[in-house]
Amino acid sequence: MSGEEEENAAELKIGDEFLKAKCLMNCEVAIILHHKYEQLQQTSDDPMNQVSQVFEKSLQYVKRFSRYKNPDAVRQLCVLGNLCPETVEEAIAMVPSIKTRGRAHDDEAIEKMLNDLSLIKKFE
Amino acid sequence: MFFHIVLERNMQLHPRHFGRNLREHIISKLMKDVEGTCSGRHGFVVAITSVENIGKGLIRDGTGFVTFPVKYQCVVFRPFKGEILEAVVSMVNKMGFFAEAGPVQIFVSNHLIPDDMEFQSGDMPNYTTSDGSVKIQKDSEVRLKIIGTRVDATEIVCP
Repeated sequence: MSGEEEENAAELKIGDEFLKAKCLMNCEVAIILHHKYEQLQQTSDDPMNQVSQVFEKSLQYVKRFSRYKNPDAVRQLCVLGNLCPETVEEAIAMVPSIKTRGRAHDDEAIEKMLNDLSLIKKFE
Repeated sequence: MFFHIVLERNMQLHPRHFGRNLREHIISKLMKDVEGTCSGRHGFVVAITSVENIGKGLIRDGTGFVTFPVKYQCVVFRPFKGEILEAVVSMVNKMGFFAEAGPVQIFVSNHLIPDDMEFQSGDMPNYTTSDGSVKIQKDSEVRLKIIGTRVDATEIVCP
């Protein structure tokens, strides 16, 4: 594989299939794996025996290193990232919970967050 | 980093599984076969999230086994050269230390540990800076950069 030699994540040189693939944040992986683990729990008595070591280790890893412990925050982040609201009012209308739930951001904090997001958008 | 990708695989199925539960059989066999495996190209397959499509089966000459092309989505963990990630230290010795990031084993040689960190032996072997403010020992969390990977899933890296 010649691609192997040139791969360098620092310069975003990764294989074609991964450029097309969706990358996941650790917290998203935690939600997916946790969900799957719960499903297994329902079908068997000893779910830890059912899952592979890779699964178990990954679950522990993402639990330890997910920055957003609160699944609500992850969803808020995701919606904001997808919809790219431009004004604070718009953002609150789309995700009312950023004002009420969790850390309860004030308008200024939301404004700053949106500015940051729009910066990322310009990098396309 | 974790990715969500679509993969394809040809599944061979024994004729005794044919019937109403064919789809379930294929999916459970797929999970058993694929989850937890590792390949140099795609990295570790952590979990299958859904099966997109099961194609038409093809009977293999002579055996009666049928091959189904299956397209499925899964979560994979693929470390890249040059990527920076966080890991948990699992063992420290004078050659360097081992760390784990999910399913991946990482080795950091003492050449690549910052020069001001010295190895200290004892019950809890560790690397400590001269002023003692930073200590790398078992269960520490470190941030490191991957400088090389080997396909049987061991990495060589530097912090």
